[in-house]
Amino acid sequence: MIRSRKFLTLLALAGLSFAVAACAQYKALPSMPASHPEELASGPVSCAECHEDQQKGTMKPFASFNHSPAFIKNHRFYAGSDQAVCATCHKWSFCSDCHTNQAAMKPSDKNGDRPDRMMPHRGDFVTLHKIEGKLDPASCYRCHGRANNERCVACHR
Amino acid sequence: MKKRLCRLLPPLLLAALPAAALAETTVDSTTILRVQQEAQSPAIGTGNKTLTPITEYLGVDADKLGDGNLSLHMLGWGQLEFADRDAVPGSADRSIDGKLTYGYLQYRLANANAQARAGRVFITEGIVNEQIDGVSARTDLPYGFGVSTFGGATVHTVKIGETNTDGKGDGIFGGRVNYRYRGLLEVGLSGVYESAAPTPLVAPGGTPPLNGSFGNHRLVGGDLFVRPLDLVQISGHTSFNTETEQVAEHSYLLQLTLRKDLVVTGNYDFHHDRDLFYSSPLFSSANLLKSLTQQSKVYGGGATYTINKNLDLSGDFKQYKRDIGEAQRFGGDLRGNYLDNALRAGLSYHYLRASANFAVVPVAGASGSFHEGRVWAMHDTKTYVASVDFIDYVFKEPVEDKRYAWEGQASVGYHLTPEVTVSGDISYGQNPQYRDETKGLVRLTYNAKGGAK
Repeated sequence: MIRSRKFLTLLALAGLSFAVAACAQYKALPSMPASHPEELASGPVSCAECHEDQQKGTMKPFASFNHSPAFIKNHRFYAGSDQAVCATCHKWSFCSDCHTNQAAMKPSDKNGDRPDRMMPHRGDFVTLHKIEGKLDPASCYRCHGRANNERCVACHR
Repeated sequence: MKKRLCRLLPPLLLAALPAAALAETTVDSTTILRVQQEAQSPAIGTGNKTLTPITEYLGVDADKLGDGNLSLHMLGWGQLEFADRDAVPGSADRSIDGKLTYGYLQYRLANANAQARAGRVFITEGIVNEQIDGVSARTDLPYGFGVSTFGGATVHTVKIGETNTDGKGDGIFGGRVNYRYRGLLEVGLSGVYESAAPTPLVAPGGTPPLNGSFGNHRLVGGDLFVRPLDLVQISGHTSFNTETEQVAEHSYLLQLTLRKDLVVTGNYDFHHDRDLFYSSPLFSSANLLKSLTQQSKVYGGGATYTINKNLDLSGDFKQYKRDIGEAQRFGGDLRGNYLDNALRAGLSYHYLRASANFAVVPVAGASGSFHEGRVWAMHDTKTYVASVDFIDYVFKEPVEDKRYAWEGQASVGYHLTPEVTVSGDISYGQNPQYRDETKGLVRLTYNAKGGAK
């Protein structure tokens, strides 16, 4: 009984010490700035062009975020873990051009003056989706599974 | 709870608006008037229709409120339809419509990337992608750890057909914990738990729809980022459906930066229909997918070579493997930018080789194969912006008696002031749905930043 009490006391002390040490370290953890301090050129940017070897703490290398065609196609992997980095340059409205809950129009219609941006469903996607949907329904599900499905319901009832 | 939150949200946001006037405020407004004339293909029908909706997108970002760490962010749209439409009950084809995409107050701490948000927010944490009316918070922790959490009410969308439900429960919570080692490794565990899914409506004497293929939205999963060398990077995630007790999805990407100007990628995606689509009444319905017992594997690869600072050349390949058949897609893109990025242009070609089971009408002798070509260019100066875009699909076997679907679009805009731009798009196309499709659009964009510095 006495041994277990001692053990619990020691465990509590160790936990307290860990918490105090963690709190002391917490204030030293850096934050990404709320916005990029300098205005960036329009179009895809290469972060590592200016930020080479400026990686701090646990931050991923800037080169990982270079907006190469591969990055743009696979940006979902970064959005799920590096939102603070994305938010430095992009407002939520940039994401909401495509990723939304109920859309008023096709993203490529809303942004018809920006053919340089990757936009889903360009051209006659009404016909194309009958092939693409059978081929890779997961790619449809990511946006239309539980949102943005009001157009789908018109036929898929 | 849900009703209370919904009632509380608009007054909270309205109460914050006067303070927003004093803060660093950015207003983004885009007004779009569309005119669309469609003449249906004889194979589909003979109807013509004209659509003329006007849509307003309004976004407000007010930063440095209160002690400087508080901010307000809102985005929504409203739409008014002038012409008669073939209204579909329950669809977006209504004369007046509108939605709040997001609207929240955010408080950022100076350290540890800590932030809290309250209102209508999007959650993207690990395997979780949700829109909620509620609260979310995240922070980095010492020794490389991090934590995020969220909870609130789900944001409902349209009801799916005869089920008379959108399939979402009313409450939702979840979060993610992660560990990072320098910039070399990150592992995350995330999950989402939604309250019980509504029971789909059953017609009197009818069989229960979505029997066994639809249920609660509850997932857990892990995500991974490894960059042991500057040359090699692996990222991806795996999600597990706790309701069906099966893996829902694997999705992984390998990226090799062989040289500064050459990036090679490989990807692997796997999903099982029932386990991934389990909480979607739309995807779970038998009339959308032939069989929910199917699984899907996609292997792919690509390479991007930066020819010079103005020109990127990419090639890609994908192999699709489903129970109903296999398909391959391959092609390439050439993208250029000149005049300090003011002039941008691109050219692409892809070919999908797919068997009859992937065809629009999957019968013997049909084909899902098609060529896709696109060419576009845009010039954006301080005075004007102009662009052209042409896309063409050529089907191996005719679809609705048409062998192609093409669309050409031109856009011209003028920057009246640095804040105000007026632009117009016009497009014309022919496709299996419409023998003629003409679309016109006038867009007025206002982006202004003001308030205290």
